[in-house]
Amino acid sequence: MGLVESGKIPKPLTHLLNLSRKYSLWVYQWGLACCAIEMGAAFGSPRYDVMRLGVIPLPASPRQADLVVISGTVTDKMAPAIRRLYEQMPDPKYVISMGSCANCGGPYWDSYSVTKGVDQIIPVDVYVPGCPPRPEALLEGIVLLQQRIGSEDMAARWRGDGDSAERWRGGPVVVD
Amino acid sequence: MALDVDRDALVLGLRDELGDAVLDAVVVAGVDVWVRVDRRAWVQAAEACRDRLGLRYFCFLSAIDWLPSPFGRAEGQGVDLSRLAGAETVPMEQGAVETVPMEQGVAGGETRFQLLARLSSPTTQLGLTLKADVPDDDLRVDTWSGVYAGADWHERETAEMYGIEFVGHPHPAHIYLPGDFEGYPLRKDFPLVARLVKPWPGIVDVEAMPGEPVEEVADVAADGTEASA
Amino acid sequence: MSTVSERQQQAYVAGVAADARINVELETEGMTLNLGPQHPATHGTLRIVVRLEGEQVVEAEPVMGYMHRGYEKLVEVRSYPQINTLVNRIDWLGSFANEVPFILAAERLMDVEAPPRAQWIRTLFFELSRIANLSLFLGDLGVQLGAITPVFYAFRDREHVLNLIESATGGRFHPNFDRIGGLKEDLPRGFVDEARAAMGKLRDFCDELETLLFGNEIFERRTRGIGVIPAEVALGYGLSGANLRASGVDWDLRRDQPSPLAWSEIDWKVWTHPDGDSFARCWVRLQETREATFMVEQLLDGLPSGPIMAKVPRIVKVPTGEAWVSTENPLGEMGYYVVSKGDTGPFRVKIRSASFNNISVLPWVLRGVYVADVITIISSMYFILGDVDR
Repeated sequence: MGLVESGKIPKPLTHLLNLSRKYSLWVYQWGLACCAIEMGAAFGSPRYDVMRLGVIPLPASPRQADLVVISGTVTDKMAPAIRRLYEQMPDPKYVISMGSCANCGGPYWDSYSVTKGVDQIIPVDVYVPGCPPRPEALLEGIVLLQQRIGSEDMAARWRGDGDSAERWRGGPVVVD
Repeated sequence: MALDVDRDALVLGLRDELGDAVLDAVVVAGVDVWVRVDRRAWVQAAEACRDRLGLRYFCFLSAIDWLPSPFGRAEGQGVDLSRLAGAETVPMEQGAVETVPMEQGVAGGETRFQLLARLSSPTTQLGLTLKADVPDDDLRVDTWSGVYAGADWHERETAEMYGIEFVGHPHPAHIYLPGDFEGYPLRKDFPLVARLVKPWPGIVDVEAMPGEPVEEVADVAADGTEASA
Repeated sequence: MSTVSERQQQAYVAGVAADARINVELETEGMTLNLGPQHPATHGTLRIVVRLEGEQVVEAEPVMGYMHRGYEKLVEVRSYPQINTLVNRIDWLGSFANEVPFILAAERLMDVEAPPRAQWIRTLFFELSRIANLSLFLGDLGVQLGAITPVFYAFRDREHVLNLIESATGGRFHPNFDRIGGLKEDLPRGFVDEARAAMGKLRDFCDELETLLFGNEIFERRTRGIGVIPAEVALGYGLSGANLRASGVDWDLRRDQPSPLAWSEIDWKVWTHPDGDSFARCWVRLQETREATFMVEQLLDGLPSGPIMAKVPRIVKVPTGEAWVSTENPLGEMGYYVVSKGDTGPFRVKIRSASFNNISVLPWVLRGVYVADVITIISSMYFILGDVDR
């Protein structure tokens, strides 16, 4: 049992490890629908550049990613693929749900083929509302996630205490 | 009534080829033309359109379910059980929507399900809307995939949404819905379950913009009727 | 008059024959490869199952439905203004263009005509959405063929158009600006000058991309002669838009179909190409983007003044009837068949989306091509999954 898992690390070292983790996130862009374009603008365009936050949007596969941004409508047909993707990611992993379709079903809340929110399948850390949210809103969601990572209790996480949201000292974050 | 020579010529050409199979035709001058044919001549009509009338462009193929929705417009207002297809006559529940008779649209119709297809010509810019009745007890029509290659996928979609079988289709399989989906979604008696569980509240109180006076917003019910003041 | 040289054609055929010989000698078994549903090249959640003999595709089957949201069922319980919001999200890159045929169908049933200023501004936003849509296509085209740079230029220059749309409507895409009888509100002050400047920048982008990508020998070798679709096959499958015009069919609904919008009032050209291969499709779209910038400038010059909205009741009830309206959207021909029974919302709407037909030709065109060419062909066909799956 390592030092991190057993919680025996001194605070400054925890702080340093959290710092290094939050500024070296590799984002897997799971772009499904219109939000994928805004996510592409946030991650790929020179104006809303995300690399200045330390987040690299170019992992080659989900097995090399720390963070996944689910952007767009989740349908029942797609849900197993998302579950499999989440399980392929190595711990510690974080999920940002972008857009109202991924948050709660959005404008398609009454459809017969839409999953009402991706949090029915995978645990979500940050919800970014909007239809579609501006690229700046997504960047704010990432910044808030980074703040959360900075104050994260890694020992609790390795013990597997509860849901991802409960692992934080508080509930999930909603970007205003 | 203004005369539309070109569109009338389309109808005449079809009547010439199909004879009695053309059950009804409506021409709105300068706008559009609808023709309803017997479903047994469905493929023959397609061949006539493509070869004789020059309508080589396949636009779409789908169907219409003319049954008025037993769940009402907002799908949460109360259920008229007597209108659920196949149900025995049941007295209407209190607060249920009033019974509306089933009425087909342009170019008439006698059955609940009607096929709808559109073909156009890239050279003469004319288009034709074809309809065909499909009886409830025999939901089968011949496939168009031999005539228009694009009809293949459209028929798959219509089959999974309405339950109409296309005889002779090379690869009938679900195209949109997951393999284990039950039911035919676009039929009117297929409810949107989320709306039954939590009905749409209609237009709620609207907040005034900052600086604007609070105006009295009329109380509008979910189906759009304004309540008397 | 084909620009694919004899030598290139012979080389391709010889390569295919050599491959077939090797497959027989080595007795390679067929392999089933699954492209997608999450794949950088498929513009979304399309899954293509290909059966391979060596490097060649024997059979290709697109599997769709991963973005099926049930539009045609959802619109039956919504009112017309609510549907307008929803319909924006079908073709999510050029969103304004999705609203227009629906609003025109409702206006035809209501026998209402929007005032001229509204029609001109509708045409203006229609062409702006075409530029927004196709500029992303041009960027993505590079990425799918291995050239990473164009996508950054595309996103940067697309921002100019999105700024314009946002300044007038409040939304970068999904403007939800069209209303039955006109538009939501008038253009803001300074829009005309900003738009002119933006069009200049977008023309520079088109020129840059032409030299960067279309002048590149690798791009030419990868796209010329690949995925040839003859005109009759295209018509039978219902291909539309640039795909059809690249096969030599001179058909553009903006020019050929009478419409209340302002296309007949300005001077513009329809671009076609005789080859029908991937290069032709990409080339036609590049020319259309540039043509759209010229059209926008003419529309800005000739904008009439006047009211922006016709007299329409607050709660819109559309009389009984059926109407079919289709327009030349950036992706192809998009149309709505609206069946109304006199209610605040329609009885049935059949949404004819261009990309559904555009992809239906894939099983036919992908037979016998190499795996690398599969990506070239689907990127040149250009579809948006929201449009395919509705």
